[in-house]
Amino acid sequence: MAVLRKPFSLLSVAVLLSWLALLAAALLYAHPGLGGVTLSPPAGLVLVLQALFTAVVFLYERKEPERLQGVNFIGLLQRLLLGPALLAVVSVGVHQLLQVLWPGSMAGSVLHTAFYTFNVGLFVLLLARTNYAWRALVLFRGTERLRRQWVAFEMMLGATLLLRLLPYAPPVGLSAAVLGVLAAFGAYLSGRQKWVAYLSRRQKLEAVLLQLAVIGVMGVFVAYFLYTRPAFRLVGPAPQNAFLLLNAFFAGFYALMGLLVTLFNLPTAGVFEQKREEILSMQRLTQLIQRGQTTDEVYQMFFDSAIQTTRADAAWLHIEGTAEEDHFDLYHQLPGEQAYAIRGLLSEFNLSNLEYFNNDLTGSSFRRLKLPFGSLMVMPLSSSKRQYGNIYLLQEPVQAFDRESLSILQTFASQTVLSIENLQLIQASLRTQRVQDELKIASAVQDSLIPKDLPIDNWFEISSYAVAATEVGGDFYDFLHLPGRRLAVLIGDVSGKGVTAAFHVAQMKGIFHALMQENPLARNEREKYPVPSQFMTQANDALGRCLEKSAFITASLYIIDYEHGGFVFARAGHCHTLYYHSIKEEVSYFQTPGLGLGIIRHEGYEKHIKNQFYDYNPGDVMVIYTDGIVEARDAAQNEYGEERLQLMLEQSYYLNADQIKAHILADLHEFTKGQPMHDDQTLLVIKFRSTQPEAGL
Amino acid sequence: MKITQHATDTTLTLALNGELDASSSVLLDTELSKPEILRTQKVLIDCQQLNYISSAGLGVFISHLQTFQDANVKLVFFNMQEKVRNVFEILGLDSLMTIVPSEADAAAV
Repeated sequence: MAVLRKPFSLLSVAVLLSWLALLAAALLYAHPGLGGVTLSPPAGLVLVLQALFTAVVFLYERKEPERLQGVNFIGLLQRLLLGPALLAVVSVGVHQLLQVLWPGSMAGSVLHTAFYTFNVGLFVLLLARTNYAWRALVLFRGTERLRRQWVAFEMMLGATLLLRLLPYAPPVGLSAAVLGVLAAFGAYLSGRQKWVAYLSRRQKLEAVLLQLAVIGVMGVFVAYFLYTRPAFRLVGPAPQNAFLLLNAFFAGFYALMGLLVTLFNLPTAGVFEQKREEILSMQRLTQLIQRGQTTDEVYQMFFDSAIQTTRADAAWLHIEGTAEEDHFDLYHQLPGEQAYAIRGLLSEFNLSNLEYFNNDLTGSSFRRLKLPFGSLMVMPLSSSKRQYGNIYLLQEPVQAFDRESLSILQTFASQTVLSIENLQLIQASLRTQRVQDELKIASAVQDSLIPKDLPIDNWFEISSYAVAATEVGGDFYDFLHLPGRRLAVLIGDVSGKGVTAAFHVAQMKGIFHALMQENPLARNEREKYPVPSQFMTQANDALGRCLEKSAFITASLYIIDYEHGGFVFARAGHCHTLYYHSIKEEVSYFQTPGLGLGIIRHEGYEKHIKNQFYDYNPGDVMVIYTDGIVEARDAAQNEYGEERLQLMLEQSYYLNADQIKAHILADLHEFTKGQPMHDDQTLLVIKFRSTQPEAGL
Repeated sequence: MKITQHATDTTLTLALNGELDASSSVLLDTELSKPEILRTQKVLIDCQQLNYISSAGLGVFISHLQTFQDANVKLVFFNMQEKVRNVFEILGLDSLMTIVPSEADAAAV
């Protein structure tokens, strides 16, 4: 029994003890001399014990923790019925069965009294349980005022228990008035049935049955007590039982009211559920975005929700993509040809991308389509940016859609468009992220192509500087040692920027390493390696087949023979070489002609490229660079220029290569201070030394 | 970048005004890609107001060079600023394209 659930609770012990006391008093009262006890308790004591038991049971139930969990009203009713109600009905039933089967032996027997007292106990327990279950329902979402009213109701009911203890019966008029007032109060409280609104249609049906059962159980007890009363004196006159009567009345009346309210709510239950469904669809739609689903899933969700909430018999979602292959159609119970016929007719009337509803298709131009539908609703999916498509909803009856369904659909549509645009934003940012990641990789790859170890020899010094304006650059330089104490130096610049340029840089380096190989068919030492002009001609030939039409590459190739103290170079459209001639103590540019690579792609490039030979002297300085240096701009958009670069070398030629580079860069950075870098910058400084390093400058 | 056009029966003159960089070279490319341009005898480029030319700008001329030669259309630059001329020269384009001092010289080519 539920009462014994907490055996150590003081109140539950009191319940048990008071019931045992009541049982003992009732047995001795009905059967004087039972078990050798001669003392017979007065009728008043039995009534007092019964009142005590009732009070304790109600107090116990009152202290029980809240029975209503969330909005599980059906669970509350079920627990009530399957718990004490079922037990009480079974017990009553068994007692009645015994009375019917053995009427003679039961009447006036000890078993009869015990059963009766037990059933009174169960009835009291059931009433207490029911009343406090009703309290949970009455106070559901109730105000503080209502709470106070409930407490007042409890107090007044409790006071009626004292009536039992009075030695005399109050006048009929007074007790009837008291009972009437309290019953009215109970009836007033029975109007609090807010919980019914929270039931779904199915739950409402369940609630009706459960409440019928509660009323039924109350009826069983009333019948039981009416039938049993003449045989037994336990239940006193009405005023003395006011408490139980009122409670039974309230328990029954509240159930009846709830039943009626639920019954009257049944027809509208569908509407409530539809609203609920709309809210849930909206929530699902919103959650889909957060989970980062695909646009197809959002469209599917929208389509399903729209059909469900508008109760459409047929539907079509048509999404126009930005490209032909992005077209997207969803059909529900509608053949494609009918869908396109509707669309065709709408566009005939210039209604194809508007909100539109027609509740009488049979009475309009739609008649000629011979559709099995009476009502049509069309909703465009569009934002200020673009038109995504349309949804078409159809119902068989005429007058099936209303303004209400149109506005719901509108909300859905705007939510969907919002979702789609959000998704597109997310996808776009993911794409950007990926491109950035790939650029980082490209940048790392390109970085690995830049020679890290500069050639070291005591015949010359080399110092280098290279910075790309973007992640990947179009500038390049490279070194290659050739046999016979020769060094090939390549510098260049690919037109354009970004990944395309970076690819051509890699290509150019490949060409460099491929062409600067020993030619095994060479007839003499000179022909073993291509001279710079030959290299350029061959490179032009190779590049001509893969460079896009408007792209070109400028490059200079130097082959320094430091055994003989000379170099040869060819300039293919690249910046002029700045040179300090130590013997003349003069700084100047080598003015040699030469066409960029990839500009003419047919025979005849060799006419546009020349070799320049020069015998260097110790102390000579060669400065090679890309146009990012001389075209660097200051705040007034002036270019750094060849003159200023020349001036810098004039100021610093006597320093070592690193210092010369630092001198030039310091001035360049001073010049471009605060300006963004527009182009990649590469600078190489080569200083020739005498054969004995210590004899050099 | 602003491109002003002046056409006669045999000649199309394009006056370039501003900086010919990566973005403005698209405009120039559109002009030079028009099919009717191949029916003229001469395309004159007035560079008086051309302050700067980037490699993308040079790329536009380079990409049309062959087509013009094949269609026997002469491409002539005139009134070129020293700075811009220097860019053409460094790249070696002066050996492929006709660059003359004035409009009169250009008309005489």
